[in-house]
Amino acid sequence: MNLLQNMMLIIGFLLIISGAYCLIRTYHMLKIIIGMEIAMKAVTMFIILAGYISGNMDLAQAFVITVIVIEVVVAVVAAGIAVNLYKKYGSMDIRNLRKLKG
Amino acid sequence: MQVIDYITLSFLVVPLIIIVINNLFSKELSERISLYLAGAAAIIQMASSVADFFLLSSSHLHHYDFSLLWDLTREGSERFAVNSLSLVILFCIGFVSFISVLVANQTIEKKKTAYVSLLMTLILGMNGMVIVTDLFSLYVFLEIVGISSFVLVALFQTETGLEGAFKYLVMSSLASLFMLTGLAFLFMQTGSLQYSLDWTRFLGARNGLSPFTYLAFILLIAGFAVKTGAVPFHSWLPDAHQSANTAVSILLSGIVIKVAGIYGFIVLMALFRGFPAVSAAIRILGIVSIIIGALFALRQTHFKRIVAYSSVSQMGYILLGVSTGTTLGLLGAIIHIFNHATFKSTLFSNAAALHEQVGTLDIDAMGGLEKRMPVTGFSSVTAFLSTTGIPPLAGFWSKLFIVMALWNSGSKGFAAVALFSSILTAAYFLRLQKKVFFGKLSDRLAEVREIGGSIKLAEILLTIVTIAVGAGFPLVLLYLEGRGLL
Amino acid sequence: MEAVLYICLGLMFISGVMAVMFRSMIKSAIALAAASAALGVIMYELGGIWAALFEVSVCSGLVTVIFVSAISLSNMDKEELGKVFEDKKRMALLPYILIAAGAVLLAIVLAVGPLLPAVGQVVKPIGDLREILWNNRQADIWGQVIVLVTGAVAVVVLFRERDEI
Repeated sequence: MNLLQNMMLIIGFLLIISGAYCLIRTYHMLKIIIGMEIAMKAVTMFIILAGYISGNMDLAQAFVITVIVIEVVVAVVAAGIAVNLYKKYGSMDIRNLRKLKG
Repeated sequence: MQVIDYITLSFLVVPLIIIVINNLFSKELSERISLYLAGAAAIIQMASSVADFFLLSSSHLHHYDFSLLWDLTREGSERFAVNSLSLVILFCIGFVSFISVLVANQTIEKKKTAYVSLLMTLILGMNGMVIVTDLFSLYVFLEIVGISSFVLVALFQTETGLEGAFKYLVMSSLASLFMLTGLAFLFMQTGSLQYSLDWTRFLGARNGLSPFTYLAFILLIAGFAVKTGAVPFHSWLPDAHQSANTAVSILLSGIVIKVAGIYGFIVLMALFRGFPAVSAAIRILGIVSIIIGALFALRQTHFKRIVAYSSVSQMGYILLGVSTGTTLGLLGAIIHIFNHATFKSTLFSNAAALHEQVGTLDIDAMGGLEKRMPVTGFSSVTAFLSTTGIPPLAGFWSKLFIVMALWNSGSKGFAAVALFSSILTAAYFLRLQKKVFFGKLSDRLAEVREIGGSIKLAEILLTIVTIAVGAGFPLVLLYLEGRGLL
Repeated sequence: MEAVLYICLGLMFISGVMAVMFRSMIKSAIALAAASAALGVIMYELGGIWAALFEVSVCSGLVTVIFVSAISLSNMDKEELGKVFEDKKRMALLPYILIAAGAVLLAIVLAVGPLLPAVGQVVKPIGDLREILWNNRQADIWGQVIVLVTGAVAVVVLFRERDEI
């Protein structure tokens, strides 16, 4: 059992690093959202792992369901803002967003 | 059900009803009445919180549990609870929303219905945050506040608004990631996330803290720091404030960063009081925010950006107050939350007035406006003096409490730095006042008239509140002493 | 049970990294869906049946649909994507970072490993998920309702055409 837990922790952190790296480095707005989603997958896995370890799997499932609902709404809002920006600038490139300085 | 039940439930029920009513009618009718509905909701919230405060203190209960349509007595059921602290914050929420509606009356022409619907969900989210008794529910309502604020910033689909909203969204998602991971690691060790859990026993049980607990604390603090706009996680704050409609900036600076961020820190301090690392981390965040926020404010030329960096700086003061863990510090922090809401709303109302009448917010293009806009100028000066902490205005008292609390709890160095930072605060505000209101009136601006209507009302109201709270503060001191809190 | 878990863990990790590294947006979205499916299987094996259901149906399904529609609203062809966004260059560092981070994490986790055992000292839960969700987490239920209302308002505001209110 311990090996499994350790593997899940390692993979989870690696996925968070991947998601954060994608979020920070990419120039494409929708890719930013994908990076966010990948990191959320890792966090969901952490919650389930926490439920498994502490024995309270049902509570962990309740958390996961709520988190999924929230994550979907945030993704929809982000996609909405991205599409609106695309309509303004004609491209999904975040290097166009230079109006706010300082 | 008793009277207190009805009043407490109104915090959740009234905004819900207003959302329904708001969207029930045809578009034209909705556009005309929606701001009135929002104003009514804000006033009801203020009245309910005051009434509840007195009811609660007269009945000698420490807190009051309630629920919305579910059976509270069942085993393990979740509960909402109000105590005196949450009632003060609920009052602030109502107050800032009211000011925002007053300003929105003149700065928003279209999409009033959408603004009011989002304002109601924002209020629901913030009310929810202060009344829950479980860390995970705190996270859920925090997300509600977040989503409502992104859409509010992006509401008018201007290029800068959408950009500010997107940057805010990205930073906020990072914060949510941190927080959820922290919560997962805490849950791993305790099996439950309720406030009423005996945290020190669960976490400190095995000789010292496990590294997962440290990690969880770091992540939680980082997450809330992003939401508060504390340095070094503040980068979204000036962009979001500058690009949003001024009515939305009032909401963001006046209450959102406090409920979403500072209240989270208050909860952390209350739950994890037994772990000194937590309060030390918050203290460092506070002192760094004060200094760096003030230094950045000195370099800006856009009115709203200066005010935004000032918010970063003032959040540092509140964080210092919270980090002491003493009653005096917490009192200072809460009073400063209210005071900051007042004077920051004044400054943003001035920004709205300037934008309406002068057409620009670049301070290099203004000057000598005090002669043409006396009400705006006077309220601006009052706000500035209160922020710096000049007696007898309101800001002086809250800063005094915070500095005294720091001194008493042994962080004398921090207290000294906090005190001297008032000089920095005075510096950037003096620069702002000088460039905008004093000096020579250029010919371009000779035709500018004073702002009228609801923005003027907001400015006058806020100035009166600042002066009254400052002058009447000894009454508050007497009340606190009577309750045994001093 | 163990074998399935390890395989799915590996699949999830690989799909996640591919989602970052792919240059085509559609392929990224599909990789994300694959990662969600793998996560769903992991959850099922660990005992979280309802959570697995939600994860597969919502994240694998709904979110992928959202992405595909957003991508199609903003379509650019693949060569242009590669040139404009320079994704290959920007993301190239990732495998090396992951290997380095993996080594560091392995060292840390081996040192810190001793956690609570699988069935810890926690209070035995009351019933199954449905009872817990509806009887013990009512504030979260209200939270979800409000989140959905906010989402609905947001969609109306953001996706409506210019000249309406």
